[in-house]
Amino acid sequence: MSDQTPTPFILDTSVLTAIARGDTDIIALIQAYDSRKQPMVIPALAIAGACLDARGEEAGDLLAGLELLDNAMVASLSGSEQAARLAYVVARTGLDPWDAHAAAVADVAICPILTLNAARWREHAADLDEPLHIVEIADPGD
Amino acid sequence: MSDRKTRLTITVDPHISAYAEQLVEAGQAASVSAVFNEAMAEKAYRDRRRRSLWKTKTDAADPQRVERMMTHIDQQLGQ
Repeated sequence: MSDQTPTPFILDTSVLTAIARGDTDIIALIQAYDSRKQPMVIPALAIAGACLDARGEEAGDLLAGLELLDNAMVASLSGSEQAARLAYVVARTGLDPWDAHAAAVADVAICPILTLNAARWREHAADLDEPLHIVEIADPGD
Repeated sequence: MSDRKTRLTITVDPHISAYAEQLVEAGQAASVSAVFNEAMAEKAYRDRRRRSLWKTKTDAADPQRVERMMTHIDQQLGQ
């Protein structure tokens, strides 16, 4: 087994929304990656976007449960520099702030964005100076 | 686990400290220590409930489908 830490995944709003809606397969997928010690980053604004879509106590508990995973961490939006960077990404890509935060984190950290909606991301993958690396969650058997 | 209380020193935000003292003054808590003890006990309960919810959802998943999705992701990362 390699000692090398894997490159973190950035979870976008589509993944967080699926979790908030209680999608068992997506929850199990994220849990499996956590068991594999795969680092995962959860942009705080992406959580906000998911909360807008799926409300209720269970949705909130499922999203908060993400933070209890050993290898998941929330990326907050902190300070004027990060706020300005977010505004820049919104202006360059036209993404909403939820996904723009994911893009901003991915752009700085050079990490892939894990998404259920790769088509949407591919429209914007080349909008920033460096291309975004998009990884789609899909079942080839569907 | 012992029922004896453990002494610890914590640093908290001023508004949180003020609220804890306000609860004591209003007679809604026995002491500032009791306020923080109760808050942590509640957090422990919430975290257990959330972990349990995640486990319930994970147990209800289709493991073959999850495996296929992970393989698909691994293939994309390998490109």
